[in-house]
Amino acid sequence: MTSLVGNVIQAEIGAPERWPNNVKLYEPYQAEQIILPDHANCLGVRTFLKMCNLPFTRELRINAEEMSPSGSVPFLQAGVFLVAEFDPIVAFVGLRGFQLSQDLSETEKSDLRAYCSMVSRILGNAEKYLSWMMDTIAVEVTQPRVGAVHPWPLNWMIPMMKKFEVKSQLKSLGWANKTLEEVLNEIKSCCQALSERLEQQKYFFGDQPTELDALVFGHLFSLLTIQLPAVDIAADIKEFVNLTEFCQRIESKYFKEKEDD
Amino acid sequence: TGKVMELEASTLAEIPARVNKIIVEGIKKTKDDFIQKKLESIFTASTVEEMLLLCQSAKMDLSRMNIFKSVQIKIDTTKNVDEDDRYDVTFHMKEKRWFGGGMHATFGGENNATMVSRLQFPNTFGRAENVALEYNKSLKGDHGGALRFSKPLNGNPDVRFSTSVYKLNLEYPWSGFKETSRGVNFDFTFPSNFGDHCLRWEGVWRDLRTMDRSTSFTVREQAGHSLKSSIKHQFTRDERDSPILPSRGSLIKMEQEFAGLGGNVEFFRHDMELQFNKKLILDSVIQLSLAGGIMKNPNPNTEIRINDRFFLGGPLTLRGFNTKGVGPHSEGNALGGDVYWASGLHLYTPLPFRPGKGGFGDFFRSHFFVNAGNVYNIQTDKPIIENLRGLSEEFRLAYGAGIVLMMGNIARLELNYVVPVRAQTGDSINSGLQFGIGVTFL
Repeated sequence: MTSLVGNVIQAEIGAPERWPNNVKLYEPYQAEQIILPDHANCLGVRTFLKMCNLPFTRELRINAEEMSPSGSVPFLQAGVFLVAEFDPIVAFVGLRGFQLSQDLSETEKSDLRAYCSMVSRILGNAEKYLSWMMDTIAVEVTQPRVGAVHPWPLNWMIPMMKKFEVKSQLKSLGWANKTLEEVLNEIKSCCQALSERLEQQKYFFGDQPTELDALVFGHLFSLLTIQLPAVDIAADIKEFVNLTEFCQRIESKYFKEKEDD
Repeated sequence: TGKVMELEASTLAEIPARVNKIIVEGIKKTKDDFIQKKLESIFTASTVEEMLLLCQSAKMDLSRMNIFKSVQIKIDTTKNVDEDDRYDVTFHMKEKRWFGGGMHATFGGENNATMVSRLQFPNTFGRAENVALEYNKSLKGDHGGALRFSKPLNGNPDVRFSTSVYKLNLEYPWSGFKETSRGVNFDFTFPSNFGDHCLRWEGVWRDLRTMDRSTSFTVREQAGHSLKSSIKHQFTRDERDSPILPSRGSLIKMEQEFAGLGGNVEFFRHDMELQFNKKLILDSVIQLSLAGGIMKNPNPNTEIRINDRFFLGGPLTLRGFNTKGVGPHSEGNALGGDVYWASGLHLYTPLPFRPGKGGFGDFFRSHFFVNAGNVYNIQTDKPIIENLRGLSEEFRLAYGAGIVLMMGNIARLELNYVVPVRAQTGDSINSGLQFGIGVTFL
């Protein structure tokens, strides 16, 4: 959304209605249910909203995914509007007049979009691959978590259906046939690119955070902290010291109190 | 048809007769022991009248199995024996083809026609079992398929065991959601002195999703999966002369359902329908219908889901309101309740001046009615007397008149002009002309 459109709409909407009082963000249950790809997306959106200083409450629901208008979590409820997933939520928030990237130059803005797209594509698909295509992880972690909230026999039927769905998705994107090594290398090269972009800056585009910072934090923090059997992603990411320090900085700035799951 | 000695009926009871042999022809698939059981009783005959009656009842019994195209009886005197009161009975049967099928339309829903395509295998294993494969699609967009198995127990067509496995995609536009159901059920039907019973266990996996963006958030919050494992008892006593447009007789229908043996859906539900018809002078009929139901959730921590609640309203239940238009609503979506009652008082008369009498005109009736009802959510924090008061005082009422057309035994059409007199805020009212097509009307 260009800022020109944003300005026009801002003028029309008017200041008082910009951010309703009881905005809610719907996510699955954190302790027993949520899986790696969803955790990354939810954390990314939460970080973004905190960076914009926009108040919201988290609503944890077993059926957050089925409630979502797009079928994916998280989704935002602002007044009568329902918006799901990171990019649409950023756009919606931008329409309301809250933007983190409005002061960037045009080249920086297209850079931003390119990096966001790379992170979503590479890290997002890698997380799905690790969670569903790797048998050990799928059977020991992902499927039990997805099925935990359903009664027998749905507790194994629903994860199986989901697995089939994700596998066909990854197949059409060309990720299904990659080996684990190829996927880990993709993660590493993505981190390499991010590390080079970040250098020693506080955020990816200078002193102020942008949506890219939120998105990267969501993915990297999840990959660093969620323990999966048979792989050690955290070790690979920790090789990029500036990225780990970046995550620690964001965590202490925006998530000072321990988040209770 | 049988070749019988030509005698007056009254003397048949006096003529002694014994059946010497029963010959059965034309059986390929049906199992011997199955046929034997049906025909054994014929040997007990001691007079010609008894023999004829027993043969006739055996023929009817066999025909009710739905596995024969025709059953023909031939009775002849036994040759080459000394006694002259011995007879040989020959049953000549033509079995149905091992598979059959067809398409037909049903109007079971509310203003909805469903086309059912069926492929069936009568007498699948030789004892009148029936296996059928079905696909149905309705005008409103519901569709689904089922595999059904049914078997009479002990050769008795009234006592049956059936089971089916199905997947259905149903639309509920009045509540803003659609539901994918995958289920399996086991039924046991049997008659009793009071009426017909059906005991059923069913396990259904329901996946509820919103229909579109305009669905209210209250309904959206119920999106997702639920698994219902329940046992049901259905009881029907239908003594009316016609299910579509009765002129006399009564109907009692009751259903109790207990959900909660496994799965994550828990409730106890009781639903009842009564109908009384009485013929008056000049071929008019007065009819009183009453219906009501109550559900209770034994688990105070969960709510009964919208998939299981009671709904009311529409041309087939409470005329004067849109389909499921009575009761709590949220942004135009019907939410249903856990208790309801409805009643209708009707007067049917032949059309004025009886046009087409003796022919087409007999399928029409003039219809005058008053109907009332309520759908309510029990408030557990208030005393029962408060709830009863709400249930009875906040009722809806409408009256009207119109024309009823009876389409054979498959459907009934109504075109009415309705005047809703009492309603509550949030109801979806349909005043004026209302059209209804269906099978069971209240």
